[in-house]
Amino acid sequence: MYEMQKIEKRFPGVHALKAVDFQVKRGEIVGLVGENGAGKSTLMKVIYGAYAPDDGKILKDGRQVRFDSPIAALKAGIGMVFQEQSLILNLSVMENIFLGNEAQFSRAGLIDWRAMADAARQQLKKVKLDIDPARKTSSLSFAQRQLVELAKVLTLEERVEGDLVILLDEPTSVLSREEVELLFGIIRELTKRASFIFVSHRMDEVLSISDRIYVMKDGAVVDVVEKGKASIEDIQHKMVGRAVDKEYYRERRRKPYDHSKVLVELDSVSLPGRVRDISFKLHAGEVLCLVGAEGSGREGIIRAIYGMITPTSGSVKIRDRHLPQVSPRAAAGAGVGYVPRERKVEGIVSGMSVFENMTLSQQSRFSKGGILNLAAERALARDWIGKLSIKASSELADCGNLSGGNQQKVVLSKWRSGGSDIMLLDHPTRGLDIGAKEDVYEMVRDMCDDGVGIVLVADTFEEAIGLAHTIIVVKDGRMRKRFDCGEGTAPTPYELLHHMA
Amino acid sequence: MNLERLKPHLPWITLALLVVIVSLIDPNFLNPASMLSLAADIVPLFIMALGITFAIYIGGIDLSAQSMANMVTVVATVLLTSMGAWVAVFCVLLGGLFGAFSGFVTTRFYVPSFISTLAVGGVAFSVAQWLSGQRSVSMNAAERDALFGWMISKTAGVPHELMIAAVLLLVCWFIERRTVVGRNLKAIGAGELAAVASGISVARYKTIAFALSGALAALAGLLFAVKLSGGAPSVANGFLLPAIVAVLVGGTPLTGGVGGVVNTMIGTLIVAVIRASMLYLEINATQQQMFFGLILIAAIALTIDRAKLKIVK
Repeated sequence: MYEMQKIEKRFPGVHALKAVDFQVKRGEIVGLVGENGAGKSTLMKVIYGAYAPDDGKILKDGRQVRFDSPIAALKAGIGMVFQEQSLILNLSVMENIFLGNEAQFSRAGLIDWRAMADAARQQLKKVKLDIDPARKTSSLSFAQRQLVELAKVLTLEERVEGDLVILLDEPTSVLSREEVELLFGIIRELTKRASFIFVSHRMDEVLSISDRIYVMKDGAVVDVVEKGKASIEDIQHKMVGRAVDKEYYRERRRKPYDHSKVLVELDSVSLPGRVRDISFKLHAGEVLCLVGAEGSGREGIIRAIYGMITPTSGSVKIRDRHLPQVSPRAAAGAGVGYVPRERKVEGIVSGMSVFENMTLSQQSRFSKGGILNLAAERALARDWIGKLSIKASSELADCGNLSGGNQQKVVLSKWRSGGSDIMLLDHPTRGLDIGAKEDVYEMVRDMCDDGVGIVLVADTFEEAIGLAHTIIVVKDGRMRKRFDCGEGTAPTPYELLHHMA
Repeated sequence: MNLERLKPHLPWITLALLVVIVSLIDPNFLNPASMLSLAADIVPLFIMALGITFAIYIGGIDLSAQSMANMVTVVATVLLTSMGAWVAVFCVLLGGLFGAFSGFVTTRFYVPSFISTLAVGGVAFSVAQWLSGQRSVSMNAAERDALFGWMISKTAGVPHELMIAAVLLLVCWFIERRTVVGRNLKAIGAGELAAVASGISVARYKTIAFALSGALAALAGLLFAVKLSGGAPSVANGFLLPAIVAVLVGGTPLTGGVGGVVNTMIGTLIVAVIRASMLYLEINATQQQMFFGLILIAAIALTIDRAKLKIVK
């Protein structure tokens, strides 16, 4: 009924989808699983029309289709229930359900609210939600909102010809056990109206609801598992089980760190939101890796060390001292360097040259009385361009025009050239190609040799295991498990997944 | 050569084309004396535009510049006798203080700069009305000539106003290109989040940008007062629109991060030539703002970096 054949998608430096074949039959619930960065979200975006594939065919009801926008996909009967709910909270339930499709209730430009309410009740009945359609959406529980969202997508049934395909992106992440059961019951019943694609990192849920499960890894579908033919363990091994090359992560260069020298100490730190009671010490030469699901609080912990988030309780000490104030400026001044996940937004300033980017965090070292010493800045940049073999035409090149790997090297040299010896790396290899990743791993080892302490949020489990001395698993804002990765004591990806999911 | 590559060069190409067109219509336009006086006439506008450049460079806007200049014409006139030459220093500090206050409101309370500067401009305008009693006030001619006469005299046929403009341009250019302040303003305009993540105190530098803008608007007002030998709460009216046009057609987009004060000089010259051509074409002075309004819209549409704007309200 819905079929993808040999779908290809490339982004600069990344081969995001590799000849993906994907099929949904009428009334089927198809599971889609994979690690972060495996290509799930790209595939979903192709399905609901946010990305056009570079190559390959999409067939819907036997006809070849091509969507330039989510609206085009909607018109063909492909709807999406977003993870971050897309309802507008200050509108009523019925206004949300018919957002953009009010014309059917309008007479001479005025909306017939009673007709809309009746129609909304019909839609809500499909998802077994008995609420007043005129209620403000903000007064609903999360589970109810999820169902309203589903009802909204189900209006497609009346609006378009042909069968429906509905994408559910992590629909259970904010629901309780009972609510999940309720939702699953409704979805199973709705399979007579539509087919579903179910995306979740909760393996037990995927197994319990899906008729078939697509397992993705590195942009390709590595296996399709029929219902009842696989265990959670099997699927998890398929998701993460690449033969890991020891040399890839420079593991031979992982040396014991200096236990006597504490660089950062967190003591029962709680943050606004869900992060509670985080305590750890980062030592000189140590790579401490925070592992957890998206939204588990890893990024918040890093940002708290960098002074971007003020803890609600607990203390953050840098070199055994509290910073005079909680700010990135104070943290940077104390030798903390931050390599953010969003490289192009927070890492580099595109439109500024390589040398301007490198000295951005250390202008006081390159100025006297507020006047910059351009010659010294440029000399420093040339020096580091050489040291890290950054591919740029010169230190004057616009940083925004460099490749991702070289941009990342600029960000790293910004901090290292300023003498930062506490490095916070948030997904430092995200979106980089293999060679550039290896360069980053090499730099991680170099930094450890220099006595730098590193807090890392890795892109994959292998990366975490390959690089870290210490792994802390974070789930729902709390520390669940700590691993010391000595010789023979490193956890397997499966163990990590087991503690975080 | 594609359009993106051409874009940085558009301002001076536009200027050159305009000069050619106008001089074809009226060959007298190229007469050096008339060109000098044309340029001198635009100096107060240029100084105001220089200031606004800093606000726009960081991705903000300063709508208070005109009211600030109005206020300073009155303040300078009223205080000239009692303060003497120090009145100049006082006025510039006052402008800087008002600007810094706009910056404080913007950064501390997260009020968009177009509203904070509009409000502070309202305060400045009201101060001018109150101090002047809503009348024109005049300077003592002898005092003015003794203290500030040099501003509007000439040396070898070159108006001193042009030299003032040149010195200010040089100072502003130095701030923009050679100082920590300028570097940080650029970083904020081009990538504010990266500036934050690099440990730059963004609030402080934004406040400095608005303070610079206010101080330069005050200087523009001072020059006005000296030229007119007096002040009134409305003398600078009609300057805000052309000043913003000058910044934008010069090539500093509303989204900030690129362009700068040299661009604003080119933009101001474009505005000057357009004004002059309107005179030749006998377009009534009252109609000029219509054109500047339309040019402003065209300039914004041409220069704005849409990649930086997700939502416009």
